[in-house]
Amino acid sequence: MTGFEMPLAFFLLGNLVVALVAAARGPTAADRMLIALLFGSTGVGIIVLLAYAEGARELVDVALVLALLAAITGIAFVRRSWRR
Amino acid sequence: MLSTASTLLLCVGGFFYLAGTVGLLRFPDVYCRLHALAKADNLGLGCILLALALQAPNLEAALKLLLIWPLVLAASAGVSYAIARRADVLGVKPWRGGKP
Amino acid sequence: MSATLAFDLLLSTALVWSAWRTITANRLDQAVVMFIVFGLLMTLAWCRLRAPDIALAEAAIGAGLTGALLLDALGALRKGKTARRRQ
Repeated sequence: MTGFEMPLAFFLLGNLVVALVAAARGPTAADRMLIALLFGSTGVGIIVLLAYAEGARELVDVALVLALLAAITGIAFVRRSWRR
Repeated sequence: MLSTASTLLLCVGGFFYLAGTVGLLRFPDVYCRLHALAKADNLGLGCILLALALQAPNLEAALKLLLIWPLVLAASAGVSYAIARRADVLGVKPWRGGKP
Repeated sequence: MSATLAFDLLLSTALVWSAWRTITANRLDQAVVMFIVFGLLMTLAWCRLRAPDIALAEAAIGAGLTGALLLDALGALRKGKTARRRQ
């Protein structure tokens, strides 16, 4: 607990929102699916920072589950939904 | 000492995340954006996890934090490969200079 | 303004924005992607409210399972459309 986690979590959320807006209006379908990758890295970072900013260590489990399911969503998009 | 190292690593992690977002906004095509996201963001996540593992109360919590990183690396590598390969199969042309 | 308050404000704004985009998107694939985004932001909101059990359920069911099922249904819909066009 250095008092620096919450500002950094806010900064990461700002990054995430800006990238979401850019990816949501991207030209191809692949740009929209970069969102899955984005949540796999930035979302996990935010949750881990939240867990240590307030001493709620059980949130680390949520970060693990989110990392797994972002991958599942990405693969489901690529294999099932992205056609010409 | 540990607190200073932790703050420093958190700053480095934030910088890498910023680099990934700038890359996502500025790069011209899907492959370049994948390159920015998959590498810069995961390096930032690694720095943040290391910084928080320095603050962890016991070894178990620190190892659990550090376990997230290989998982995210494997997941993001797999998804990036799948997206890039599918884009190539569907005929998305890579950027060769000039206007995107 | 403290960082916590700024975080909460930005998160709730992003939640309302993604929910609005989900119901007003005029293309089905955009709506599905925005639904997934809404689910993931909702996971962050439950984490912020310190409800890790609901956050786990939201991440697993709301974003992961429903998102994958909706994407699969979208692919099946498109496949049916192109098959009908070929007949």
